[in-house]
Amino acid sequence: MTEASDTVVDVRNDVLEPQDRPVPEGWFDRVRHGEAWRSMFRHPHLDTPRGRALQSFSNVFLHVYPVKVPARVLKVRYSWRLGYIASVLFGVLLATGVYLMFFYTPSVTSAYGDMQQLRTGVGFGQLIRNVHRWSAHLMVLVVILHLVRVFFAGAYKRPRQFNWVLGIVLLAITLGFSFTGYLLPWDQLSYWAVTVGTNLVNYIPVLGDTLRDLLIGGEQIGQATLLRFYALHVAVLPVSLALVLMIHIWRVRKDGFAVKRGGVGAFAEESTDVTPIASVTAVTNVAADGRRVRLLGVVDRESVTAEERLTDDTVFTWPHMLVRHVVVGLGTVAVVLTLGVLFAAPLRGLANPNETPEPAKAPWYFVGLQELLSHFDPLVAGIFVPAGALITLIALPYIDRNPATESRYRKVAITIFSIVLLVALVLTVLGALFRGPGWEFIAPWQHSYLEL
Amino acid sequence: MKLTRRSLLESGWKLGGGFLALIAGWTSWELLRPLKAGGASGKIKLGSASSYAPGTATYVNAARLWVANADGHLFALSQKCPHLGCRIPFCESSGRFECPCHGSVFDIGGEWISGPSPRGMDQHPLSIEGDILVVDTSQRINGPDPGAAVFLTPATGPSCSGKG
Ligand code: HEM
Ligand code: FES
Repeated sequence: MTEASDTVVDVRNDVLEPQDRPVPEGWFDRVRHGEAWRSMFRHPHLDTPRGRALQSFSNVFLHVYPVKVPARVLKVRYSWRLGYIASVLFGVLLATGVYLMFFYTPSVTSAYGDMQQLRTGVGFGQLIRNVHRWSAHLMVLVVILHLVRVFFAGAYKRPRQFNWVLGIVLLAITLGFSFTGYLLPWDQLSYWAVTVGTNLVNYIPVLGDTLRDLLIGGEQIGQATLLRFYALHVAVLPVSLALVLMIHIWRVRKDGFAVKRGGVGAFAEESTDVTPIASVTAVTNVAADGRRVRLLGVVDRESVTAEERLTDDTVFTWPHMLVRHVVVGLGTVAVVLTLGVLFAAPLRGLANPNETPEPAKAPWYFVGLQELLSHFDPLVAGIFVPAGALITLIALPYIDRNPATESRYRKVAITIFSIVLLVALVLTVLGALFRGPGWEFIAPWQHSYLEL
Repeated sequence: MKLTRRSLLESGWKLGGGFLALIAGWTSWELLRPLKAGGASGKIKLGSASSYAPGTATYVNAARLWVANADGHLFALSQKCPHLGCRIPFCESSGRFECPCHGSVFDIGGEWISGPSPRGMDQHPLSIEGDILVVDTSQRINGPDPGAAVFLTPATGPSCSGKG
């Protein structure tokens, strides 16, 4: 019984509440020490290492973060904060999207009018719409850049294969958001971009027609399509994105940040799946089959060797990481707000099934595909190329078995990826900037037909 | 395999789960499957056949299609591009159909000339009742394959998209 009595906690002297806490000064301090405050926030505000750890543990939002992170994670060059910026943009889109929902009816007779009304009759309505639109474009861009960063860092390799797959799912959902959102204003731009986009589905062998009809709810884009896209845009996709993002971020913690640790060269913080170098393996548990095992799921640091512990390179998330995230988050909001103030989201004429505007362009992230379509058979350009790219991307971490992460040992992978990236970029720029009516070549300084 | 209570339960939950998934799939399909468009389709009178002169294409708003006369042969051509569904306008100066989206060009009979469209413009069957031209919009015939073209009428002038 002696052991047990050691662990008994004196409730009057709760470990969370230091006995020698200073006498509250001022009204805010008094509120913070009052019963109401302490019933809301489980942790005291303590500027000690223990206090900082407790802040992270006992707060539902902060516990997304690890209590301590390797110092290198703080460097901008680690992630360029792209995943984080994408999350912030998602937050901005949720907030502005809910405002828009108060003024928008998904009906072909009123949707377009609602958009005009937002411009003239609702205080700050146009601003909210602009911010929503520009954040959406930016989010697609940032997610793509995030993917590129993860690729070049080799961060998709063991043990992060599955998180890469989740990332592709997130990219697909992000594109789904943009595409369904594009239809909602029900103007000429929406109508024809979605007509062209959904007709691609027709080319899928056998099932194509049925799938397209299922997607647009009939044979023609109409009321059923608008309602379907709206339901996807405001309910199905947000919930899906939130769910997958949750798992994605949880896996970032569980798989460990993809940074090199102080001199030892280990590639993971928490993971035990990687065997960095022989000497590290030697000091940890070796299972019968030669692979290292974790004793218990909760023993995170099993993989951290004695050598590493000597040179502890971790810092507290609170405040080091948090302050950076607050700054980057505010910066992101500042950027989309500025864009929203400076540039109005486009609104062309009311959707007219009897008149195709010239040229009818898809949104910029699909315009490379449209460019490809003007050169090749749609079965090739519209189905085989995108489906092939998607499948290759998903399978990439399982195909690329090379464990190296430094670029000099990954010449083949990097070369192929760079070429594909370059081709996609050229096609996109060509389609977005250098195409005019009839998809004829036209220089952007003569006339720009770029539509956002 | 010997059937024990354990093995029955073990395969039972898989079967049960599969059954539930099937039901869920069927229910969702019934809920989401597109409803067939009612009404609108059917036979539409297009007036006197002789009012469509050779070398002209006339838009019929009620049926959303073009009535074109290629060397005396009348066609009811769907306005929807077989490529990706843009509406195809008729270019008066070239005497051809020119799709604005990706530049497919069709001759006045709807036959494929150039561009990414996999075939000529789709058609609806025409019939003549008395002197009145009637189109049946409930039926659609795929346009002719590029190899099957017969008219291939030359352009009568400059293209509307600026192409020579
Ligand atoms: C909705 C879109 C996405 C959001 C909001 C998001 C969010 C995040 C966040 C917050 C991180 C933490 C570290 C960082 O900033 O890099 C992260 C890491 C990661 N993301 Fe994403 N992500 C998205 C899409 C993607 C995509 C498209 C991929 C790749 C296909 C991807 C793959 C990864 C991987 C493998 C990591 C771990 C990398 C490391 O630890 O260095 N994510 N993501
Ligand atoms: S839709 Fe007509 S050419 Fe593509």
